[in-house]
Amino acid sequence: MKTSYSDLQLDALRELANIGSGTAATALSSMLGRPIDVSVPAALALPLADAVDAVGAPDASVTAVILPIYGDLAAIVLLLFPPEDAAMLCGLLGVDADSEFGLSALSEIGNILGSAYVGALTTMTGLALEPRPPETVTDMLGAIVSSVLATGAEETDIALMLDSDLTVEGMECSLSFMLVPSRAGLSDVLARLGLDG
Amino acid sequence: MTGAAGETIVRMSELSVSSTPGHVLASIGLGSCIGLVLIETSRPLAGLAHIMLPSSNGDSDAPVGKFADRAVPALLEKMVSAGAVRTRLEAVLVGGAQMFSFGSSTNLDIGRRNEQATREAVARAGIEVRAAATGGGKGRTVRVCVGTGLVTVKEPGKAEVELFARAVAAGRPG
Repeated sequence: MKTSYSDLQLDALRELANIGSGTAATALSSMLGRPIDVSVPAALALPLADAVDAVGAPDASVTAVILPIYGDLAAIVLLLFPPEDAAMLCGLLGVDADSEFGLSALSEIGNILGSAYVGALTTMTGLALEPRPPETVTDMLGAIVSSVLATGAEETDIALMLDSDLTVEGMECSLSFMLVPSRAGLSDVLARLGLDG
Repeated sequence: MTGAAGETIVRMSELSVSSTPGHVLASIGLGSCIGLVLIETSRPLAGLAHIMLPSSNGDSDAPVGKFADRAVPALLEKMVSAGAVRTRLEAVLVGGAQMFSFGSSTNLDIGRRNEQATREAVARAGIEVRAAATGGGKGRTVRVCVGTGLVTVKEPGKAEVELFARAVAAGRPG
């Protein structure tokens, strides 16, 4: 099934992502006690075949925290930590990235950031959104991103990803933060913003 | 899309066929997706489909490699157009992992459903599955070399391993 998005709709989704990731950055900043820079989010609406490459090299190793969201908008929040950045973040929190504490620290960062992001979306749109507990996996970027996209690809041939980068100021340490909404839920969101059809 | 020398990357929802000896078809980072390899055993000819979901439910606009029920006949047809004899085709399946557990108790275990749907479609086409590296919880990269029929699989942090090799009879177009 073909689906596409107008520039106006993509602008509105980018603004949603902007407010969500701004709130998440504030949460990360208070966790680490350091200022966080937030990139201007990208609203990517791409053919399925192009979607993974737009996120990164498919064979790159990443640690991902995945938060499924249920409620008025079924979606997945996906945080991607490249290995060096994951190690540095864990270092800032005083844990060893390769230990079980490292993974659970990343998982907790994912949980707090994801919840902050989702909370901001709820406030803005009035949608009832319920995040589920996060899962943390380390694998090939392509395997993670494609499997996330597959959960929502039944109804659409366009992969929609709202992508922001958070960077710890003054350090080579960043993480990529994505909201991957389901097509059906997204129609409701756009309708609430007066941007349906 | 062409990657390293002589390698065609088959991305999500795509399929590709090659009859150039030594050419490699690859799908990088299969998670719940299935990489379906078809090998012609009497000539240098191989195909690869990067299947994302089990059933098209009649959606005929979707990319042809997206759904198992459409991808398998489409790949078969492309192989036959390139000179394959149906009875000399063999299949290898890679992927269908469950990367996350949140779908495990529902029909969201897409990896398992993808494998099942692909096996059914391959069986309907009368093709035998000769080898498979499927299920589990890890991503995989699959490569097939045209001519040697060598299929390799790589999981993260592990060496590339040989999954299947089919010596193809040389110089005897059937």
